[in-house]
Amino acid sequence: MSRTNSAEQTAIDAQQRSAANGPVGLSETPRSSSENRSPQAATSPAIHAIGLSKRFGDTIAVNALSMTVERGEVFGFLGPNGAGKTTVVKLLLGLARPTGGEALVLGAPLGDREARRQIGYLPELFRYQPLLTAREVLRLHCRLLAVPKAMWEEEGREALKTVGLLERRDDRVGTFSKGMQQRLGLGVALLGNPTLVMLDEPTSALDPVGRHDVREIIRGLRERGSTVFLNTHLLEEAEHVCDRVAVIDRGKAVATGSLDELLRRQGRVRLKVEGLGPSWWSGLSRFGRWHREHGWTVVEGIDPSRIAELVAELVSLGGQIEAVIPEHQSLEARFLELLGER
Amino acid sequence: MNATLTIAALTIKEAVRRRLLLAFVAITVVIVGLSAWGFDRLSHTNSLTSGESNLAVPQALILFMFMFSFVLALSASAIASPSISSEVESGVLMTIVTRPVRRTEVVLGKWLGLATLLAGYAAGVCALEFAVVRWASGFLPPNPLLAGVYLFAEGALLLTLALLLSTRVPMIAAGVIGIAAFGAGWLAGVVGTLGTAFNIAALRTVGRVGRLLLPTDGLWRAAIYYLQPPSLIAQHLDEGGRGDPFYAQGAPSSSYLLWVMCWFLLVLIAAIVSFERREL
Repeated sequence: MSRTNSAEQTAIDAQQRSAANGPVGLSETPRSSSENRSPQAATSPAIHAIGLSKRFGDTIAVNALSMTVERGEVFGFLGPNGAGKTTVVKLLLGLARPTGGEALVLGAPLGDREARRQIGYLPELFRYQPLLTAREVLRLHCRLLAVPKAMWEEEGREALKTVGLLERRDDRVGTFSKGMQQRLGLGVALLGNPTLVMLDEPTSALDPVGRHDVREIIRGLRERGSTVFLNTHLLEEAEHVCDRVAVIDRGKAVATGSLDELLRRQGRVRLKVEGLGPSWWSGLSRFGRWHREHGWTVVEGIDPSRIAELVAELVSLGGQIEAVIPEHQSLEARFLELLGER
Repeated sequence: MNATLTIAALTIKEAVRRRLLLAFVAITVVIVGLSAWGFDRLSHTNSLTSGESNLAVPQALILFMFMFSFVLALSASAIASPSISSEVESGVLMTIVTRPVRRTEVVLGKWLGLATLLAGYAAGVCALEFAVVRWASGFLPPNPLLAGVYLFAEGALLLTLALLLSTRVPMIAAGVIGIAAFGAGWLAGVVGTLGTAFNIAALRTVGRVGRLLLPTDGLWRAAIYYLQPPSLIAQHLDEGGRGDPFYAQGAPSSSYLLWVMCWFLLVLIAAIVSFERREL
């Protein structure tokens, strides 16, 4: 959600993490080219967009998108296929030009060359040079990142080890499966200790083991203080690793916040109560929408902090409480609800 | 500059590992071998006088070099037309241009790498063919170096054009347009030659305009000029043979060469601007 509509934004611990920004975790490779960071960039949000828009003829791909991604957080960018997620990533990386609004990435204008030095990017649809070996691909990107030559081997080795491709380092990329290419892409995105890692559908070609590995890598990135912008339509992925998410639909952010905030807002509780007459039940409406279901009373949309109040009231009215089961709404259900509201 | 060299080195490495390049080299070696046999027969046949043989060998060499200039143009178009378009389509370039690299450096690196390959091919072909002719007949063009340079320049112009096309149109379209433009340029040159021979102003204009719009034929004529021995030029002057498309009356003027330089720079800048402005 936009900065102006900050009611749905959270003030979570991202800033604290960003203050503790440092090279710990994932690898012990010393910082190289990415050490050269401007003071302005170090204090600004990782991504700050205001009214970002992109039109392709009559089609509005991104519609006045406003959002802020703080440093050090794992930010999930969720939306159905065709919602405009990849277009947003391309705008943020300077691959496409916005038709409206503005944005800063690491405190720099879109497409800034120095900012790109600090960004690791895994595109959604990509391929590496099929005639090069995995090791050569990593060396190439080390060169493009201006990593000192003495560190190419170490950086490349560490990246391949992290993504589980060390054994295949001398094989040509053309012989890799799609999943292995995705792993390689992730390894390339990790080179040079990036401050911001943008992952566009990073697990789309991976098996469950690969997905688990990616989650671990993302957690490692967070531990060492990197910001991760995770573009995905796989809600499970976001649920596992994201601190905050934005849900985008038809180019517009329909909700932004921490997962807790997003799900808690729509709490649900299941009650088994005896000893109350039917006339009382209408009083439940002030806690949320309710209905009866196989002998249970289900209250939806209740603020979780009011469940105790509800129980106390039922008891005071002479109700015998047999069971109270607070239920968390799944992200998928909330996601579908948000899209349905549009 | 570093990024330009990195992209150039990458372009060369990839091209060397492709079989296409090997195929070009293999075909070239076969043709040079056949030409060795042909030149040997031509210079040792009893049906020609030594004077006739001295004229026939350079003319045959020009024909062979024309074929190589076509192979060079085909190669230039074949390697340049997919260089950007197909890498954009496959997503290879997405991983490059999101690095701290200017798009200008990507285009220049691609051009430099491909032009190096082309220069290597042109140098190899010229050295082999001239050595073969020398061995078989004893003839060596009056200025083999300049002839080779113009042959390379012809290919390099087409390479630059194909690279420009590659920033906007798909690989096959870029390749076809490049080759078609080369053919049209050569044909316009022939038409212009006929216009000069038969004194038809309109045809002369076609030739002149053609050589300005796409200077490949003008550069091919320059290469011919440096392949011709003085005896061949004298014979053509005697016979007034100005309608021969495989004959060049003079070296290219400095103003024409200046225009060629401008043409090259304009097309290269257009390629850079086109890629800079392209949304990926």
